[in-house]
Amino acid sequence: MLKFPSDVVDSPILAETVLKTGVLINILRAKVDYDEGTIVISILGDEEQQRKIVDTLIEKGIEVSRLEKNITNDISRCVDCGACISLCPTGAISFNKDWSINVDGEKCIRCGVCVEACPLRSLSIQEE
Amino acid sequence: MKTIEEINRRIKNGEVVIVRADEMPELFEENPRRAAEEVDIVTTGTFGAMCSSGAFLNFGHSDPPIKMTKLWLNEVEAYTGLAAVDAYIGATQISEDKGFEYGGGHVIEDLVAGREICLRAESYGTDCYPRTRVETTLTIDDLNQAILFNPRNSTQRYNAAINSTDTVLHTYMGTLLSNRRNINFAGTGEISPLVNDPEYRTIGFGTRIFLGGAKGFVVGEGTQHDPKNGFGSICVKGNLKEMSDRFLSGATIPGYGTSLFVGIGIPIPILNEDIARNTAVRNNEIKVSILDYGVPRREKPIVKEVSYEELFSGRVEIDGKKVKTSPLSSVKISIEIMERLKELILDKEFFLTKPIQSLPRDTELKTMKLREEVPFVEDVMTKNVIVAHPRDSIITVSELLVEHGIDQIPIVDKKDKLVGIVTSWDITKALARHEKKLENIMTKKVITSKKDEYLDVVARRLDKYQVNSTPIVDEENNVVGIITLADINKALRRR
Repeated sequence: MLKFPSDVVDSPILAETVLKTGVLINILRAKVDYDEGTIVISILGDEEQQRKIVDTLIEKGIEVSRLEKNITNDISRCVDCGACISLCPTGAISFNKDWSINVDGEKCIRCGVCVEACPLRSLSIQEE
Repeated sequence: MKTIEEINRRIKNGEVVIVRADEMPELFEENPRRAAEEVDIVTTGTFGAMCSSGAFLNFGHSDPPIKMTKLWLNEVEAYTGLAAVDAYIGATQISEDKGFEYGGGHVIEDLVAGREICLRAESYGTDCYPRTRVETTLTIDDLNQAILFNPRNSTQRYNAAINSTDTVLHTYMGTLLSNRRNINFAGTGEISPLVNDPEYRTIGFGTRIFLGGAKGFVVGEGTQHDPKNGFGSICVKGNLKEMSDRFLSGATIPGYGTSLFVGIGIPIPILNEDIARNTAVRNNEIKVSILDYGVPRREKPIVKEVSYEELFSGRVEIDGKKVKTSPLSSVKISIEIMERLKELILDKEFFLTKPIQSLPRDTELKTMKLREEVPFVEDVMTKNVIVAHPRDSIITVSELLVEHGIDQIPIVDKKDKLVGIVTSWDITKALARHEKKLENIMTKKVITSKKDEYLDVVARRLDKYQVNSTPIVDEENNVVGIITLADINKALRRR
């Protein structure tokens, strides 16, 4: 997750970073306010390439944090109904053989559709 | 041929043979006669959101006593049109402070889980019940009775839902993505109770069942019981104090309201080969219609007929595309219910009952009788619509608004196709910002309607998108009319 302070909100920092490093990124979510911007990206590449992107962004005054966990399921609330499954655009949620819900954080793009739709409110996406 | 008495004797002697509904098809196909003779009981189960659920509660009398006329439990209103301290809390009643996030279903779950509930009641006061207000906190242990009483549960089969419109819909069938991108379905198919006894040969008035983790009973047929069309249902009751929150969960159906997930398990006694054959049903034999919930009418068009097997496979082909499916009932917990019921019987804690009366097999499902027809858009809309063109000046448009005493003007191109809409507020903004071009101030994404839609549907649309009017267009996007909030209010007030 990238936090853009107010003084750099209007610069094309991501484009510059991609051009400079030659490493591709995917923008998963972006929110720009008058005083700051928050963008969630996934970096397509090995660890060295990821490092390059992160270092370049930090140089440009961006606050970079790693989102360890994407979608998580509170199994004490979940009743394994599956209402979330057909809504997930990337197939990150599926049934296990025993009809319990399997959540694959790696595939999650943090769109939040499942969180809103869950009848038991057992799904959440870590914000910070 | 066996009798219930014989099966109960076998339970007592520890000889009873029980299989789950999903294990029966294979046994039956191998040797029907042997399966019918050797298997005594088939357990069935379902766990899903059942809106027609609730609980009768008796709180005991306060001192001085009160005859509650209005009652809230955790800010969810309960019905008190009964004796002084009796009430009924319904699963879909939403809370006054948290809206859809908390409702009657959640109150029932909190009670079952032993959590504290805030009670607030009002009254007009009488000679025998002088008190007019009471506020307290209590748990289920403080109540005299807490009786789960669900007028309609465990419906035999359900239709599935898809959405053909270009906006996301929030329905009682869950969240339906736009342009047919997902299918939601309910029920547990071949393991569902009534599916295994579709002619109600063993399930009837007084049948002992597994309900919410405890023993309960079938009271009779459920509301909207529609046996002729295969949509039978049951009315059930049980002691909430003995139940478990593993099998009763409050739920939020986003954009729709609250509900209660209810767990029900019914043991089917295998008295003869016919009953055995019914319990050998497989998912591929149970048909489900996928209906288009984009049509907000009572009769919805069928998009495709499929089986539970296809729905449970995770994808159904619609117009050459594989569309993802979601069950709304939990197969995992339904299997747990079948297993739990089996254990209770094996432990000699659960004996079967013979129904004292059969469920009706010939009732008809009625629709609501209406005093008058609901108006269509065509009956109410203004047909001579004043329109403007993208190249018109803002002055021209403001003159039109004033001249005709209207608040909005649809903008059409040279071929009379709708391209935008301008309101008097847009004109005010244009003046404030020194904007000269109509094209720059018009709203391009217009909320439109069709002339053959019900007025109530359009009223809901205006409310949903927070707009004051909607142009009426034909199939070619030509403006044929316009309808405003004022027109709708006037027409609906007349009803």
